[in-house]
Amino acid sequence: MARYLLLRLLDLVPTVFLVLTLVFIAMRILPGDPALAALGANADGGQLEAFRERMGLNDPLWLQYVHFLWDAVRLDFGNSLMSNIPISTLIANNLPHTVYLTIVSVALGLFIGIPLGLYAATQRNKLPDNALRIYSLIGYSVPDFYLGAILLIVFSLNLGWFPINGAGEGFWDGLHHIFLPALSLALLKSAFLGRLTRTSLLEVLGRDYVRTARAKGAREGRVIFRHGLRNAMLPLSTGIGISILATLSGAVAIELVFNRPGIGRLLISAIQERDYPVIQAGVMMFATFVVLVNLLMDIVYIFIDPRIRMKS
Amino acid sequence: MSDRLLDIRDLSVEFGPVARPLRVVDRVSFSIDAGKTLGIVGESGSGKSMTALSVLRLVPEPPARISGQILFDGRDLLKVPRRNMPAIRGKDIGMIFQEPMASLNPLMSIGDQIAEAIMLHESMSADRRRERVLDLLRLVGLPDPEGRLGAYPDQFSGGMRQRVMAAIAMACNPRLLIADEPTTALDVTIQAQVLEMMLDIRRRFNSAILLITHDLGVVAEVCERVVVMYAGKVVEDADVGSLFANALHPYTQGLLRSVPSLTDTRKRLYQIPGSVPPARTIKAGCPFRPRCPARMDRCAVEMPPLVPYAPGHRAACWAVSKEMAE
Amino acid sequence: MTDASTAEASAELVAEREALAPEPGFREAFAQVILERPSTRIAFVVVVLFILIAVFAPLLAPHDPLRQSILQINRQPSWDHWLGTDQFGRDVLSRLIHGSQNSLIFGLLSPVFAAFFGTLLGVTAGYMGGIVDRVISRVIDMLMAFPELLLAILIAAALGGSFWNIVVVLTVAFTPGFARVARASTMAVKQEPYVEAAVAAGVSTPRIIFRHIVPNIAAPIVVLMALWSASSIRIEATLSFLGIGTQPPNPSWGNIIRDGLSNMFATQWPIAAGGLAITIVVLAISIIGDSVRDFLDPETNQ
Repeated sequence: MARYLLLRLLDLVPTVFLVLTLVFIAMRILPGDPALAALGANADGGQLEAFRERMGLNDPLWLQYVHFLWDAVRLDFGNSLMSNIPISTLIANNLPHTVYLTIVSVALGLFIGIPLGLYAATQRNKLPDNALRIYSLIGYSVPDFYLGAILLIVFSLNLGWFPINGAGEGFWDGLHHIFLPALSLALLKSAFLGRLTRTSLLEVLGRDYVRTARAKGAREGRVIFRHGLRNAMLPLSTGIGISILATLSGAVAIELVFNRPGIGRLLISAIQERDYPVIQAGVMMFATFVVLVNLLMDIVYIFIDPRIRMKS
Repeated sequence: MSDRLLDIRDLSVEFGPVARPLRVVDRVSFSIDAGKTLGIVGESGSGKSMTALSVLRLVPEPPARISGQILFDGRDLLKVPRRNMPAIRGKDIGMIFQEPMASLNPLMSIGDQIAEAIMLHESMSADRRRERVLDLLRLVGLPDPEGRLGAYPDQFSGGMRQRVMAAIAMACNPRLLIADEPTTALDVTIQAQVLEMMLDIRRRFNSAILLITHDLGVVAEVCERVVVMYAGKVVEDADVGSLFANALHPYTQGLLRSVPSLTDTRKRLYQIPGSVPPARTIKAGCPFRPRCPARMDRCAVEMPPLVPYAPGHRAACWAVSKEMAE
Repeated sequence: MTDASTAEASAELVAEREALAPEPGFREAFAQVILERPSTRIAFVVVVLFILIAVFAPLLAPHDPLRQSILQINRQPSWDHWLGTDQFGRDVLSRLIHGSQNSLIFGLLSPVFAAFFGTLLGVTAGYMGGIVDRVISRVIDMLMAFPELLLAILIAAALGGSFWNIVVVLTVAFTPGFARVARASTMAVKQEPYVEAAVAAGVSTPRIIFRHIVPNIAAPIVVLMALWSASSIRIEATLSFLGIGTQPPNPSWGNIIRDGLSNMFATQWPIAAGGLAITIVVLAISIIGDSVRDFLDPETNQ
């Protein structure tokens, strides 16, 4: 088991390396002069040259690449071009909000989605099952930022039940602020998770070992939870991993809708201000997220599935 | 004998539309006495597994429609409310399934899976339950039971898993053990061991066994009585000795001729021509007619009834009844 | 059997297979099953309607979508402006109608490109095997770890938004999915006796690929194209909403919502209308995609 984990960790090295390389290629080799982009068309030649020198853009490409990798490994992203604030500070201020939003949204999505899926699976091809099918189709079709905007207009703007923007201070105020953004992400994820729960559970309930459980004299509740859901957790945890990452990407737009601080909004405003060290850092933060969530899922598998645990 | 444990009368299982039903089990009747072993023999598609699953009411209804009577200890299991069935399953009737590879939960240790079977019907301390699980594992002949409690099905071979399945089925000393092709998926040498284990179980617990198989060799080894099924119908039933000495139905005769003989290995094995017809295509008359060497005109029109020709020996065949009449 | 007769038998098998290649009646069965469900029929009509709207946008739009008017800002719906006007006095309905062009063109273009490149990569990896397969698979796996939307946002962040950049962004985001499916299908088809027979009979590699492999993996690829044109529209909308997709003043459903949000205290019609347009089109395409999937793989939903 420990060896398996170690292997998975080692496996991350080429992935991280590839991600960093892609980010580097995207930022440096693709057309467009970063200096011009950063300073704007009005900058004169001297300013541009000074900028290039300061950012190391006059170095040969391989040297830039080495510097880039070294900075990335040390998590040293430099300063923002706009505000001159160290990017590590910007990230430290924004990251927790995005993580918090993602966790609350996914938790809420599971809280709504799994019971829906369980219920639909037990009522297969009846009204609740078909209702879930429609719900999941709609959930797939409504963009989350649109749902967010509607919730914002109805509950914040018109009814005044929730604040219009910001993240709030302290736990309860924070909860008050996060409720609508999290709900807009969670409702749509619950459609996906509900459908996935239903499909996985039905698949498992058709297995021979579920029949064995019934033959032992297990009652339906026990069959569904102890044998069905437990085994359905394997495909479901993959789905939860996908949901976490989808929520994370959806959070970018939701942070914009609700004007919440976060990595997504940081990245988007950096793009608009052409603050390219911040863009680079933001892209790397998201890529790191993806890699970490995938690792987390692998670890979760180990705990669920003894077959993986035994392989060592 | 009056100590009839299981008495199945006119059991039918249907699927599909009521107007055009698909009958996979057709008015099947047989009985098992306490402590005895009965084998149901037939090719795949003969309805033998469906009959076994019906006893435990493990056939999902709907889509299935089950009629007739399944008297267990005088009580009709088909009349037991569905929510009361779990109390009977595993306690009074245990079951072993065909696929040992797929029939155990891959995420539960085998110790937990056996303990669950006990826990569902009897309350006792965890320590006592553990002792009982170990006893069961010793009973089914699993080496090193203490060391295997925490193991998962994946770490076991097919034969070992079938032993674990047997331990689960025997967890509450059921009076009836249903074994659905318990040896089919196993190697020949392992088959013999598993059969030996089942005979051992019967000796110690005096449980009755309903053994489903397509292998007459297995029947000869363990059973006292045999029911031969074809296309959902019982075509012959008899004591094992009587059946092997004097098989009446042409289908049974065909089955016997296709069992490899140990004494004469040069003889070419007999093969019954054709295969079991899909339930949908069976019209009137005897379903075996297209493959039957003794078919007569009457067979196309009317299904022969199951009638006794000797004490405890019945068959459903017009050719046999004609022969007997002559 | 001698080698010559083996080759002969193989050639026969190949010829037989080629004769059978276009399955007769498949297209009819397909059309029938798809159109059998009323919901799918309605979805078809909706998609066709939106395509017509996009094609004839200049004729249908009552106003110039770009013309600003300081005198007519933030109007509520009226006979002249069915969906009112925005903060620049532009007609919302006209922007919505013209916006359909941007939304649909990406929805249709990117999956086609992605299907092309993805199939190319996947078939290459699946057919060649070895180191080529290992490298391609590794890159596919890595990209697949990213949700398409996130991948699109990250690439758009680096590239910036322009028409072709968005096409590139969406194509790159969807290519790995196609490649994975194409690779798996190729590996499966490669094992089929008729392909092995074709190889034994000395049929050239390109011929095997185009004659035997590509037609046999086409079905899942087409389903993915249908499903992902829905995703493509949704992602383009999200990018435009974030300001890294279609650039103002050009309208797209995403940036209509974006403009609407910054002006939500004055009028909420642009948000409602833009979002509804995205939802309806994506829903319609998803319903069609679902039917196609059920047709090709009836087991999944039983």
